[in-house]
Amino acid sequence: MSRSRVGGAESDVETLAVEQQDGASQLEAQEVASEAAQPERPSRRRFFLGAVAAAAGAALLPARKAQAQRISRPRPGIMTRPGAPGAVSEDVLVRLVNRVTSGATEEEVKRAKSMGFSRYLEYQLKYTSIGDSATDTWVATNCPTLAMDGPTLYATEYGTLVTQLWNATTYRSAFSKRQLYERMVEFWTDHFSINYEKVGYLKTLDDREVIRKHALGKFPTLLKASAHSPAMLEYLDNTRSRGRNTNQNYAREIMELHTLGVDGGYTQQDVAELSRILTGWTIQGRGNFAFDPTGHDFTAKTFLGETFPAQASSVGAAAIQEGERAIDMLLAHPNTAKYISMKMLRWLLRYDPSQSQIDAIAQVYTKTGGDIPSMIRAILTPANLREAPLKMKRPYHFLVSSLRAVNPTVRTLAQVSNRQLLLLGQQLFYWDDPDGYPDNMDFWAGTILARWNFASYLTSQASATGEVTFDVTPLVNLATPVAITGQIEKMVFAGNMPSALEGQISAYLSAAPVSANRVREAMSLALSSNAFQWY
Amino acid sequence: MTMHDEDCGCDEYNELSRRQFIADSAGMSGLAMFASVFPSWLPKVVLSESYVADRDVIISIFLRGGADGLSMCVPFGDTNYYTGRPTIAIPRPDSTATATRGIALDDFFALPRAMQALVPAYQAGQLLVVHATGSVDPTRSHFDAQKFIEVGKPRDPNIVTGWLGRHLATVPPMRTDAPLRALGFASGLQKTLVGGPKTLPISDPATFGISGATATRTERTNWLKSEYGPAPEPLRSSSLDALNTIELLRLVNITGYAPANGAVYPNNGVGRALRSAAALIKADIGIEAAQVDVGGWDTHATQDPVNPGGAMYNNMLNLANALGAFHADVIAGPTTTNVTVVLISEFGRNVRENSARGTDHGRGNCMFLMGRNISGGRVYTFNWPGLAMENLQDRQDLKVTLDHRDVLAEIVKNRLGNQNLDVVFPGYVPTMRGVTK
Repeated sequence: MSRSRVGGAESDVETLAVEQQDGASQLEAQEVASEAAQPERPSRRRFFLGAVAAAAGAALLPARKAQAQRISRPRPGIMTRPGAPGAVSEDVLVRLVNRVTSGATEEEVKRAKSMGFSRYLEYQLKYTSIGDSATDTWVATNCPTLAMDGPTLYATEYGTLVTQLWNATTYRSAFSKRQLYERMVEFWTDHFSINYEKVGYLKTLDDREVIRKHALGKFPTLLKASAHSPAMLEYLDNTRSRGRNTNQNYAREIMELHTLGVDGGYTQQDVAELSRILTGWTIQGRGNFAFDPTGHDFTAKTFLGETFPAQASSVGAAAIQEGERAIDMLLAHPNTAKYISMKMLRWLLRYDPSQSQIDAIAQVYTKTGGDIPSMIRAILTPANLREAPLKMKRPYHFLVSSLRAVNPTVRTLAQVSNRQLLLLGQQLFYWDDPDGYPDNMDFWAGTILARWNFASYLTSQASATGEVTFDVTPLVNLATPVAITGQIEKMVFAGNMPSALEGQISAYLSAAPVSANRVREAMSLALSSNAFQWY
Repeated sequence: MTMHDEDCGCDEYNELSRRQFIADSAGMSGLAMFASVFPSWLPKVVLSESYVADRDVIISIFLRGGADGLSMCVPFGDTNYYTGRPTIAIPRPDSTATATRGIALDDFFALPRAMQALVPAYQAGQLLVVHATGSVDPTRSHFDAQKFIEVGKPRDPNIVTGWLGRHLATVPPMRTDAPLRALGFASGLQKTLVGGPKTLPISDPATFGISGATATRTERTNWLKSEYGPAPEPLRSSSLDALNTIELLRLVNITGYAPANGAVYPNNGVGRALRSAAALIKADIGIEAAQVDVGGWDTHATQDPVNPGGAMYNNMLNLANALGAFHADVIAGPTTTNVTVVLISEFGRNVRENSARGTDHGRGNCMFLMGRNISGGRVYTFNWPGLAMENLQDRQDLKVTLDHRDVLAEIVKNRLGNQNLDVVFPGYVPTMRGVTK
């Protein structure tokens, strides 16, 4: 089954409910027609219907249980005016929590309900107002290298550096109260992807001074910080681009991946010219940006149709302005607004945003000077959320949401953020292409066994002196399968477990006397379930 | 104005292998991919039904870190080798140093003593060494050079799948019902295999499966099977493949596997991987490809390929003993399945040794091919450039005179029965060099 079909699973659900009265949609008609033409494959239709039925269970996961029995969702006209507290349905509110966090907990859903849609979104957007001292303290205590300057980092052993960045990142994703901020840190980490193995300690600086500093700021500021980041200049070889001997790697990727997009209207000649414009952008000392005039090509260039006249080399350090001007041109380009909007829509809303959605967000980008919070407000509207199909969690998202569900006592995350993430296939900062870990379903589906085994690993952590500890006693004390299932539902699904799954969990608990191990396994199966892989 | 430390990443290889550090995988791409990832640029594909019965299984071995090919296939006939390496050269086969001298392959090249276990394969005409080969891209970055070889094309950001993965995606399975067509011996799938249908990273096939208590394993497995039976794609297929693979591997007695011809696999990483691969191949369950990584080749200091106990000596010994066992067991053994083994590394190393009795990152290197249908028993070169200073790349390295893709493409075409070379190696028109029979 194709990606678009899967991505549109929820739409198909709605289609079934509505179209049964109105006649078959074109999609359905094609399905039927192709089936009629190929009677030798009768299983395909059954298979499709089965998948849709399952997707329905998953798609309605955020809804209240009473609502979960419905097939169709409310029509747009029935909705009350969005924005006012209490006016948005609980279903949509839960969808919002799923989109702005790395896993909806009961506490977070409760907070959203009491604040209402708009206030809750504003609360998450104004993240500096969210007190997060427990997280800050944990990171400062366990990951002191994150606060170090370049020379100190340089003198620190590689393993220590990357381990602490893994630990801090995973801890923050799981336990920070600034959940939307951390989700955007994850997004920009992929957008400005840098492989730790290639650049070492410089990535620790980039994480702090580029990604985390500007994740909910303005895109132009973020891009410029990245363009001045030693880690990026090293990763994409601009440090090796000197004089007439240029390396085009960064010049290409800043257009293809960071701003315009691959079909963003530039030519190979523009890549070559931009690489010449950016000669001399390099590193000084341990982790400082520098423009080195002795490495700059002062001859004339033409970039995106504009002339950069030749300069005398006596201009010296002022020639950095050529690069600044080129970057401003990229930031003002309409295709940058569209490309960034498309990627943010994909991340926050759905795999297949429509052109009109992209255009609408691009308008916000243009009007606000690339203000990321303003774009998020325009993306995460009740109307958009109501229509958005579920996305599949990436392995890291799965791992983090499992931590949020189990809420173990954490001593360190050395195993979880290193070996366990490696087994899941998404070692942080180790994607070896500059485009970041993929945000799609097909790429990650093959890791399902690793997810089941991670769930087993996490829920079996019983030692009070272990790295993480899952205290199962409160669950066991509930004594009956029904009561334990109810509590698992609250922990793993914030109270919105699909009822079929509820039955299966309860059945597993009933199949043997209640014991700590049995309950751990039931919890593991809840995390392993199909429904928990989606958000 | 100074650059910060060079991009070679060598410090880390020396003091603490990053790859060991990050648990046990050498394949950092770390991705198990789903079958349907056909890149949009994929040209039209011919799913040929021919050759199927005659196709070889392929074992692809990557020596990570830049293995010193001048120690593994020694050009003893070139005096520049000895002048460039006063302390780490393998003595000539006619040297009086009988314990450490090379084993002549012809009148110019020799195997080091550490790789003696490969002599039977060479004498049987089933081992071919190709020299002065490698990637045409001049990078000396491990990171980039490994990637370029694994994806099959240098510096093309649009290609994210591996050459072997694309091969698998463009031939029909050897067994249509096989739940597992290829495996990477790693925690995360190596880039070489990315894009392959029914391809999984499996660190140890003997223990692959659902973790947790043995007593409830069947019960939990059945629970998951029923939970995912009606799940939406792509999770449904993916979970079924995983569960079927677990079932399948349980049927193969890997732990109790008895090699043929009295072959003894060394108990090291590559030895265990090749032993498992042999067991899977003989079980005839439809495995078509396996990727094995061997690390520890980034020998910037105290390289010592000469003396027993030396760092590179030991690494070559472990490798050659494992390959020798695989040759005796599978290639010279009774199984009717043909297997081609191919070894490659991201680049060779400098002709001259450095001040630390090691060698730094170079260019041209050798590849090893093994199999019944390999035109072996010889060292193949194309315009061997020699080691004289004026003939070296950047006045320091053996030149690449033969694109490694020529070698791989010929294997793909002649031994793996795949005509879609423009998909496996996009944008490259290979020259057939006669490495296969």
